[in-house]
Amino acid sequence: MMTDTNIKNNAEVKKAFQIPLADIYETEDIYSVKLEMPGISKDNLNIVVDDDELKITAESSTEENTGNLKYAEFRAKNFSRTFRIGNEVDRNRIDAKLENGILALTLHKSEAVKPKKITINQVN
Amino acid sequence: MYTYNIFNDMIKLRTVFDDFFEQKPGYESSREFPPVQINEGNDQITIKALVPGISSENIEIQLVDENIVLSGSKKEDYENQQYIRKERVFGEFKKSIKLPYRVKHDEINADLANGVLTISLTKSEDAKPKKIEIN
Repeated sequence: MMTDTNIKNNAEVKKAFQIPLADIYETEDIYSVKLEMPGISKDNLNIVVDDDELKITAESSTEENTGNLKYAEFRAKNFSRTFRIGNEVDRNRIDAKLENGILALTLHKSEAVKPKKITINQVN
Repeated sequence: MYTYNIFNDMIKLRTVFDDFFEQKPGYESSREFPPVQINEGNDQITIKALVPGISSENIEIQLVDENIVLSGSKKEDYENQQYIRKERVFGEFKKSIKLPYRVKHDEINADLANGVLTISLTKSEDAKPKKIEIN
């Protein structure tokens, strides 16, 4: 029997995820990541560090009242973005702040990789 | 019993291509900022606009005739650092949204939460159908 998998049934319809826009800068001590995630509250935001990946996912909990929707330039607000992070990032020191639809992450670098000045011992 | 069917794989491949060329639902970047959604029902209109990172004092909402005009500015929040990535967009914006009917001027509510601006409007009495008595 041949089944056309192209006709997606409801269970198969993938949730549409948007990639949140990001601004990133690096200093000697930290990486700062700012992501635009409008409509996301603290409760439905997930930030997971898995090995060398930092994954940020957010699903809007409120079901859109699509019955009365007359016009839309955006759809359900689900976001997902994954960043690859190096060994220099301290996995235990990642700070997150959500304010006004902007998620600000601060990734601290571990002490071991920070530039260190080496003093030369004078040997006489 | 599982039988391997080569057509399934071929159709799956087609889905991959379809998904790639289909425009993903999301921001419609070609539209003017901010992206909006309009809900209508029970003589009520709700407008939602995505305005992440903009505080309420930087947004102005005006009712001009039968239009809602959103204007303001999204101020840069760059630190004095060398950026690796700059994807976010800043600047002034102005957008006019035509309403389907006249609304009550004194029953307009605007809320800003989590970077989403929600404006609630109520249909004006004189926009409702009126029965006219015949003498």
